[in-house]
Amino acid sequence: MTDAPSSGEAPPLPPGTPPILQLMGISKYFPGVIANADVSLDVRPGEIHALLGENGAGKSTLMNIVTGIYQPDAGEIVLDGYAQRLASPQEAIRAGIGMVHQHFKLVQAFTVAENIHLGWRDTPPRASTRVLEARTRALSERFGFAVRPDARIADLSAGEQQRVEILRVLARQARLLILDEPTAVLTPTEARDLFRALQVFRAQGNAVILISHKLDEVMDISDRISILRGGRKIGTFATADCTPAMLARTMVGRDIVRRDLRARPPGAAPVAARPALGLRHVTTRDERGIETLRDVTLDLHGGEILGIAGVAGNGQRELTQVLTGLLAPDAGDILLDGVPVATPDPAHFARAGIGHIPEDRLRSGLAPSLDIADNMALREYDRPPIGGRGGYAPRAAQALARQIADAAAVRIPDYAMPIRNLSGGNQQRLVARREIRIADRILVAAYPSRGLDIGAIATVLGYLTDLRDRGVAIVLVSEDLEELLNVADRIGILFQGRLMATIDAATADMETIGLLMGGRTAAHTGGTT
Amino acid sequence: MARIVQRLPSVSPTRLLIWRAGAVIAALLLTTLFLALSGRDPALLAELVVRSTVGSRFGLEDLALFMTPLMLTGAAVTVTSRIGIWNIGAEGQFYAGAIGAAGIGLFVHGPALLVLPLMTFCGVLCGMAWILVPTLARAYASVNEIITTLLLNFVAALLTSYLAVGPWHDRVTGALASTARLPVAIPDLWGVVHWGFPLALAVVAILAATLDRTRWGYEVRISGANPEAARYAGIPVRARIVAVMLLSGALAALAGVSEVAGTVHRLQGGIANNFGYFGIVVAVLARGSCLNVLPAALLMAFILDSGIVLQTQQLTASTVLAITGLVLFMISIGDELAHYRPVSTSKEAAP
Repeated sequence: MTDAPSSGEAPPLPPGTPPILQLMGISKYFPGVIANADVSLDVRPGEIHALLGENGAGKSTLMNIVTGIYQPDAGEIVLDGYAQRLASPQEAIRAGIGMVHQHFKLVQAFTVAENIHLGWRDTPPRASTRVLEARTRALSERFGFAVRPDARIADLSAGEQQRVEILRVLARQARLLILDEPTAVLTPTEARDLFRALQVFRAQGNAVILISHKLDEVMDISDRISILRGGRKIGTFATADCTPAMLARTMVGRDIVRRDLRARPPGAAPVAARPALGLRHVTTRDERGIETLRDVTLDLHGGEILGIAGVAGNGQRELTQVLTGLLAPDAGDILLDGVPVATPDPAHFARAGIGHIPEDRLRSGLAPSLDIADNMALREYDRPPIGGRGGYAPRAAQALARQIADAAAVRIPDYAMPIRNLSGGNQQRLVARREIRIADRILVAAYPSRGLDIGAIATVLGYLTDLRDRGVAIVLVSEDLEELLNVADRIGILFQGRLMATIDAATADMETIGLLMGGRTAAHTGGTT
Repeated sequence: MARIVQRLPSVSPTRLLIWRAGAVIAALLLTTLFLALSGRDPALLAELVVRSTVGSRFGLEDLALFMTPLMLTGAAVTVTSRIGIWNIGAEGQFYAGAIGAAGIGLFVHGPALLVLPLMTFCGVLCGMAWILVPTLARAYASVNEIITTLLLNFVAALLTSYLAVGPWHDRVTGALASTARLPVAIPDLWGVVHWGFPLALAVVAILAATLDRTRWGYEVRISGANPEAARYAGIPVRARIVAVMLLSGALAALAGVSEVAGTVHRLQGGIANNFGYFGIVVAVLARGSCLNVLPAALLMAFILDSGIVLQTQQLTASTVLAITGLVLFMISIGDELAHYRPVSTSKEAAP
């Protein structure tokens, strides 16, 4: 968007106007996690303030505090110059703070007018459908968000639903509008319409906090940018002083410890010439028909670690599912040893020596209510000594569980207790060892270090490099760039389901990866130094 | 406020058993109290109940007769609960099995050695057919099986009544709402107890072994505990759901076959006698374990048998239901309380 929003410029402020929202030293702790530490931030009337940060940087927690969902453990919220305690979301709404979440909170079976008036103090106590629709029409015109008052939410596109959400917030006299990844679900045209409307909103002296991962759009629309990292605010910059490259660096760049784990010990398996598994122009769609992977082509070679970088939700889940036979592509081919797989089946992939450490262990890799032995048998129950001839030998399963627990250095008091009684870290280590046992050819590891402490992370990464040296092909999906740069041989970057590039990790730099993660193509990055 | 109790993540079987025994005793004490309050002599009634259930040969025979269908319907509900499904339709499948068996028994004549297996086969097939539609709806369209299986119960009960008073009605003796006595019967084993009793025991034992000691049983267990993990491991969840539900229908139907061919010897309205519903109670008491079905069915049989005794003492039939409910209620409280233990660190322990 090069056309400058001349009509949407903020009106000049009289000196001494207090910020709409001022956060002073906000801290929030969860058991074992510092979500926010000493965050101070001010949002002025008439500005669009972008909030940038990686996953887990503390953006969501901070916004939950601002909207009254969480209470800060330390610090103060100042609205229009007065300190306030926002005890509930209702109080935040009354104070003029409205948030539009990434996942809309609308009643699908209700009409637009009904959703707008739901739980609103200004809704007339006895209102007919006609009155509600007339009121909605009036609101729609007043705020410049076109909606059809009588349409059912379920029949609307994502962009239309978002307009309803925003209108719902604006109708409650919000002066500070918080948008979480608003363009993630929009077409480019819808995104342009949204930005135009936001500029009008800003011109009336209101403010917007925009959470986004897309650097281009942040550069286009925002007035100032604050960057969070690891729960702390790194800084607030005027957008005019920023470049996408500098933002990417600041967002992801910490003091990188480049600990090269790529070096092979003598005797390690070389990188295989022929790929063990390949994807050719693979496209997948979710149930709504939206493309989750777009035209992905890649090869996995034995003895090599392929890192997958990207902001969460850009196709990582689908990629791991396609690679392990859980998800059949809507278009394109999976080549196992160069032969196309007609109907992917996870059991077949497992027997072919493909292990899978899934992203969400408890939900997809374990049966939480069953005992540890049953859970550890999940990959080997169909072969001796546990399986064999249709049987199931509980003793053999327990012996296997003991073996896996020993390898994972997890101490288990009772193998008959449900696995959910173990800590997340121990579950993780057990699943990793279980999968490594069957991963003769390929291991697909999604966020294997998530939720682990530093020592455990080193252990798990050690597992991966050991496997690599034995000639196994490894896919490591991670949100931790440092980890990828240290361990991976090549790094592929996913953005909106597209494999933006696959680059050599030894020479890769954080900045290029950051830009690719934000949706800039390699051609774009060539211009910046 | 200081915490005085602590919740245990898992409960040992012994601990659970103690709490359950306590719950049953509490329920009996409460029953006694109310019987005394309504002017009965609890000691006299208790003596009568004991004498006519476990205290005499006739009582024990009755107990075994009650236990036979309860073991099978209890197993039917337990097997689906393993895969996270509730078959509320054991009652209907019981009727279907009874109809199938009676149909063969009435109209196919031959030596018992041939007719009895045919009756069993046909009855089981009818039971599976009765659960087929809910099964397919559940497996392929995710239609809630609780509603579909339940509603078919009423259809089956009405169909049975229709057959018993209509086309299959006994025209010779003119008995109301019943078919003629079947020419073949499951041979008796001990008094009125027929071979259906040891057969049911064997079926439960085989089922327990299948679920605990076979690959198929393991796959069912995983599919029930977490379908997503099952898919991750390549287990065909849908096929397992279909198989388990059909097996459940077959087990409930087997109870119907044994009741028709061994105990009642004819098809009559209301022959299921709520055994299908009591099967749910048995399964709840068994907590998903097939072997636990045996003691649970025994307890249930004892309650039903006692109920009949109490009815001869001019207590209404609803008293029996109330006692059943009370026992279940106390047991579920006991199961929950078994998860808690007092925290010993606080000086002022809970009273």
